[in-house]
Amino acid sequence: MESAEAWRLTDRLQAEHGKGDPFAAAIRATRMAMIITDPRLPDNPIVFVNDAFCTLSGYDRDEIMGTNCRFLQGPDTDRDDVRRIREAVEARRDIAVDLLNYRKDGTRFWNALYMSPVVNEDGELLYFFASQLDVTHRVDAHLQTRNEKADVERQVIERTRELTEALAAKTMLVHEVDHRVKNNLQMISSLLGMQARTFTDPDAQEKMRLMLDRVEALGTVHRLLYVSDDVTRFDVADCARELATELVQASGRSEIRLRLELESVVTAVDKAAPVALMLNELVTNALKHAFADGRGGKIVVVVEPDGPDVRLEVTDDGTGMAGIAVDPTSFGQRLLQTLARQLGASVERLPAELGTRVVVRFPNDAVEKAAAR
Amino acid sequence: MREPLRILIVEDEALILMQLEMLFEDAGHEVVGTAVSQDEAVALAVETKPDIAFVDVRLKGGSSGIEAARAMRAVDGLTIVFMTANVRLLPDDLDGAAAVIPKPFSEKVFGAALPFLEECVRTPPPGIVKPPGIRLAPWFMERIGLRDAEFGAALP
Repeated sequence: MESAEAWRLTDRLQAEHGKGDPFAAAIRATRMAMIITDPRLPDNPIVFVNDAFCTLSGYDRDEIMGTNCRFLQGPDTDRDDVRRIREAVEARRDIAVDLLNYRKDGTRFWNALYMSPVVNEDGELLYFFASQLDVTHRVDAHLQTRNEKADVERQVIERTRELTEALAAKTMLVHEVDHRVKNNLQMISSLLGMQARTFTDPDAQEKMRLMLDRVEALGTVHRLLYVSDDVTRFDVADCARELATELVQASGRSEIRLRLELESVVTAVDKAAPVALMLNELVTNALKHAFADGRGGKIVVVVEPDGPDVRLEVTDDGTGMAGIAVDPTSFGQRLLQTLARQLGASVERLPAELGTRVVVRFPNDAVEKAAAR
Repeated sequence: MREPLRILIVEDEALILMQLEMLFEDAGHEVVGTAVSQDEAVALAVETKPDIAFVDVRLKGGSSGIEAARAMRAVDGLTIVFMTANVRLLPDDLDGAAAVIPKPFSEKVFGAALPFLEECVRTPPPGIVKPPGIRLAPWFMERIGLRDAEFGAALP
């Protein structure tokens, strides 16, 4: 029965093309799955099927003949693809589409379908000719690549989110620690300040006040450190301005004037504390010793870059060194020497026109590092 | 004899609160109240009507000195000065406060800031040069008749 149908069709193909058997034989024998449907019959049934199509679909020829080829579709076949094929049939256009189809045993394959109308010389539609190619490997590979790409993108987004959160947490931690450090320094100076009030012995009270000044100098360093965005750099001039102004104002000695000659010198942050403490000692000494008899005068603080070095200078026009011998074993002097050693600084005590001039010079690592680059 | 300033201190660190209380009283001013939280601060400000309130930005139990200061603006004639270790977190106009004193501050900062603020409040414009440890809000400078240029000059 099947063969009768098929042979009849072959005869008709032969009749239409008038080229004899070799053409029909080729279509029958090719490895490309092919079918022919007849749109003039109800529901456009399959009227020819070659062996390759039977092999691809897993159906026997007699199961296929006379049916509409929608039996290849299954639950996951894209409805839009199916609609496009239907529209092409209705419009008598050819169409190429990758369609998900199902074999008789239920397994799926990607079908690169190419379908085109066949018309006779009068323009009358006779058949639709369709070829099918199993492109499962190609489509799968394409889908896999697409999935992998989406996967990588997902991972990048996820990782970026994690890093952003980690950075935010770290920034918050830095702010929190900065806040704690400042608060603790504030509490230390509160304790010292309050205790200093309770001393009745003027000498003890003064020593306590000096200690408070030193702690507050460290506080000033911390206050200045986080003003800029770069927490690894520190401007000696800013520090000198704040420290010297505060010390002179707090002395209550309106007869002592302060002149600041400050040039911005940015240095590494690890120098901040020793520099601030040295400045504190030098300005305090000038206030305490140079104008001891209540006389007025002037203190000049200079900060400037000097080649690869930073130069600090504190000059007063007070009584001068002749008046008081500097005791190298005093706590203040030992502190100065120790800090100088940490900074790799030289400290020169020179006679000034009237009073005393102290020059501190230390290498600016920030400059050396910049030059080395 | 000048009238002492009536001062409210809002600070949740007990030690700092105690130190400020001592400082202000030593300087001859009157501490009319001390608060450690936002609600306490607002209630005390309304009740005592101080001249100046020094307000820490972070208060007890996570409450906010900034919020406290906002509510305290309703109190007539009250000048608010923030104290904070995070000056950069404050807006430029200080959210209605007159000034900010960055932490850690020294006793010297308050020693210089008090007479300056006193003149700002009582007899503006102030005759004293602004001390370095205090930053004024632009709107407050305008109100007390200070121009930016007057701040450039350090001591003579």
